[in-house]
Amino acid sequence: MSSNQHSNELTIDQGVVLAPVLTGASHEVSVVLVPERARFSLRVKPSNLKALSEASELDLPEKIGASTLASSTKILCLGPDERLVVSDVTSGGTLRRMFAELSSQISFSYADISHRNVAFEISGARAVKLLNTGCPLDLCLRAFPVGKCTRTVFEHAEITLLREGEYRFYVELWRSFAPYFVRLLEKAVKSR
Amino acid sequence: MILIRCPYCDEQRPEVEFVYAGEAHISRPQNPNLLSDDEWAEYLFIRKNARGVHYERWVHAHGCARYFNAARNTVTDKILMTYKTGEPKPSVEEIAEAAK
Ligand SMILES: [Zn+2]
Repeated sequence: MSSNQHSNELTIDQGVVLAPVLTGASHEVSVVLVPERARFSLRVKPSNLKALSEASELDLPEKIGASTLASSTKILCLGPDERLVVSDVTSGGTLRRMFAELSSQISFSYADISHRNVAFEISGARAVKLLNTGCPLDLCLRAFPVGKCTRTVFEHAEITLLREGEYRFYVELWRSFAPYFVRLLEKAVKSR
Repeated sequence: MILIRCPYCDEQRPEVEFVYAGEAHISRPQNPNLLSDDEWAEYLFIRKNARGVHYERWVHAHGCARYFNAARNTVTDKILMTYKTGEPKPSVEEIAEAAK
């Protein structure tokens, strides 16, 4: 990661401050802190999924591990009734109002978890190698194609992983785990 | 590392994503008031501790977060089959078929 990027300042709001690490990373892999995002944990029974999809005009993925992307809003299907909605902060306000309105018509629950997580974008030719220093999943393209997402682990931290491109991953985790996560990445990058 | 098939994700996933959750197919008595202390203790504490095929619960804690059931051979530690919560306990034949 080049040192002239603003993203090198790994300062996370809500009290978690990271030292500007990962400066040793080469052009083959970069780790960038994603700016503040709005996040919702959406729980809806499979029988109500279609109704909610239509009423909200959100393309809610049906299958575990599937994701959809529309403008700035990512939706990840993490469990049989569980979806994670991630959007920019402005759209988040719109989503929050819409969910509040719809909740009187359709049976589902939404919880605002915007500040629970922070996200990193890990990209570059060595992104898979870097992730596999702590994540036991098979991340070859055949087993983990573009668009696939899942909750899994990175060493002792639980992460949510989404492959956005062959060499680009989006990783979310609880913000209190962020310093631990970044330090592990830093160590892995340096020790190669 | 053991790979375990999660019946909800329908994938083989690494063992570290899972947590064991005790013997399966134990249902809570409908009316605990009618039970003697011994019967209640039996429900709470007495388990099969099988040598061989054991029916047990697991949770895909760091995955889809669902509980499911597994049949595991406690001698070889091989997980013979996994199935969704609420599905009937598979017979020995069904397990043998699934473990092929
Ligand atoms: Zn699962």
